[in-house]
Amino acid sequence: MKFLAVIRQVPDGESRLKIEGGRVDLSGATLILDQMDEWAVEEVIRLQEKHGGESVVVALGPERAEEALRTALAMGIDRAVHLVAEGYLDPITQAEALAEVIRAEAPTLVFTGGQQADWDSQALGPALAEALGWPVVSWTTQIELESETQAKALHDLDEGAERVRVALPAVFTSQQGLNEPRYPTLPGIMKAKRKELKKLPLSAASKAEVLEQTIQERTRLNKLIDGKDPVSAAHELVRLLHEEAKVI
Amino acid sequence: MILVVLEHDGQRLRKSALEAIGRARQLEALGPLAGVVIGENTQAVAQEASQYLPTVYVAEVGGYTAEKWAEAAYAAVQKSGAQVVIASGGRQGRTWTARLAYRMKAGLLEDTLETRAEGNHIVATRYSFLNRVTERQRAALPVVLTAKPNTTPPAEPQGSGGVEVLNVALPTGVEVLERLSEQKKGVSLTEATIVVTGGRGLGSPEAFAKVEELASVLGAAVGATRAVVDAGWRPYSEQVGQTGKTVQPNAYIALAVSGAVQHQAGMNKSKYIVAVNKDAEAPIFKIADYGIVGDVHQVLPALIEAAKKLKD
Ligand SMILES: Cc1cc2nc3c(=O)[nH]c(=O)nc-3n(C[C@H](O)[C@H](O)[C@H](O)COP(=O)(O)OP(=O)(O)OC[C@H]3O[C@@H](n4cnc5c(N)ncnc54)[C@H](O)[C@@H]3O)c2cc1C
Ligand SMILES: Nc1ncnc2c1ncn2[C@@H]1O[C@H](COP(=O)(O)O)[C@@H](O)[C@H]1O
Repeated sequence: MKFLAVIRQVPDGESRLKIEGGRVDLSGATLILDQMDEWAVEEVIRLQEKHGGESVVVALGPERAEEALRTALAMGIDRAVHLVAEGYLDPITQAEALAEVIRAEAPTLVFTGGQQADWDSQALGPALAEALGWPVVSWTTQIELESETQAKALHDLDEGAERVRVALPAVFTSQQGLNEPRYPTLPGIMKAKRKELKKLPLSAASKAEVLEQTIQERTRLNKLIDGKDPVSAAHELVRLLHEEAKVI
Repeated sequence: MILVVLEHDGQRLRKSALEAIGRARQLEALGPLAGVVIGENTQAVAQEASQYLPTVYVAEVGGYTAEKWAEAAYAAVQKSGAQVVIASGGRQGRTWTARLAYRMKAGLLEDTLETRAEGNHIVATRYSFLNRVTERQRAALPVVLTAKPNTTPPAEPQGSGGVEVLNVALPTGVEVLERLSEQKKGVSLTEATIVVTGGRGLGSPEAFAKVEELASVLGAAVGATRAVVDAGWRPYSEQVGQTGKTVQPNAYIALAVSGAVQHQAGMNKSKYIVAVNKDAEAPIFKIADYGIVGDVHQVLPALIEAAKKLKD
């Protein structure tokens, strides 16, 4: 069996974001393996630990995305494939390029993050499934392999959740609760440096373009009341919400 | 042609469907409108939909899977020749529309706040980077787009149209074994004008009774942080944040919530943010309009009393 994770490198949510020339400028931001992809990587490693076979991680992104691939290798994935593409590519175009690599790998299943922490996109997993002609299970919180061609999964809907049986190969996207990802160990990090990381250049035209990005933070009032006297603080807050903000 | 995929509950169109029709009407320069009703018990809903749209397709395909929805929507696209498909956001909508967009080789505009036609392009605004950035995207037709809930006024009925049945071959890759529905009580979190959220600092599930009390006095919905949901104090359906729900109420009241970025991703666009936290350095105060630096166990009962007095 072969288990495959598709990942992205994204800015750490705690990093300050800058806008330069109408675009998000990531220079100076701390870049990490997307935390929802971390769940995907962890699940792939656990599936391999339980069922044997091979684990592979694939990323589509700029040169620097190699660091995120190394993180996945350090967590325990066997080898990596990097489709190198600079600039914005929409998820449909990404899916098309990734599907080619994944078809050749012929994994038992593919896992990716439920939502990307940079582009806030939820589309890559399902678009990839369509490109491959496979089923998709999005926002997965539990997965159990029944055979090489069948799995049971629990996943979130808009409201509530459902248990499904899925024909494999299939694409799954991750959701909170799936697992607790392991940290890369020092020996893991050393080993990752020697693991195979194949680079494939990609040039493709995006079906959507980003015209402008802005950070429109509301100016917050920051009116803080000392709560040492809780009763008068509460009255003051209720008064402000009623008379000034007019929201209650 | 613009095709609107209409969400419903087997009896009526959902509010999100009326919002999607509203979006479609804003794009009328790109062609006439049609709708499609997909799922179970579609007949009555299709009749209702025909009061809003000149053509309504129906595909009776049973319960939801992304594969069935994409298949049915694609059948309606082929039948109508639609170059634009509009659906509601949400997890399900954003899953099957990605399948559909791939099949149509379309540009996909996800979770849009606003959309307008520009020649044979659609320009959309949306949030990115965990809700921190606002961006404008542009895609040439064909386009599939999802509308973020509560961003468009619901459409009013207009004329009357015909209903046409679609026959759809059903994909079989996913078999639904069991639905675990959530019990809904009180005000809906995503539609509430006031949300009162409790965090780990409340210390116990029992302390949440006071959060519920404040919410009920204010006519608000109850929210929770992930720490609280993980501890099993509150159901996941109440979680606000990156992996929970996104809310944008007039007032968001965060009680003993630290304000982690993943939590902020679900509430940072609220009109007014109010926080109670004993730590003056908590990140939530950086984005708060009003706050009390104090012990939630003392402040919350006092807030309930003050709010009751106001409402009397
Ligand atoms: C990929 C990913 C996705 C995530 N998604 C979400 C999400 O969707 N939603 C979400 O909420 N989190 C999410 N998280 C988790 C998030 O990072 C935080 O861990 C979480 O929001 C913390 O919850 P909290 O504020 O209740 O708890 P804490 O961070 O523990 O904060 C408790 C606060 O209560 C205050 N406090 C304690 N006692 C008192 C008292 N007596 N009176 C007043 N104040 C008091 C403390 O000062 C503190 O600020 C996600 C994390 C990851 C990695
Ligand atoms: N949400 C987004 N949607 C589209 N493009 C983006 C988004 N965020 C960043 N970009 C741009 O995509 C380009 C490539 O980003 P990257 O893949 O991080 O190198 C940069 O110019 C970014 O500004």
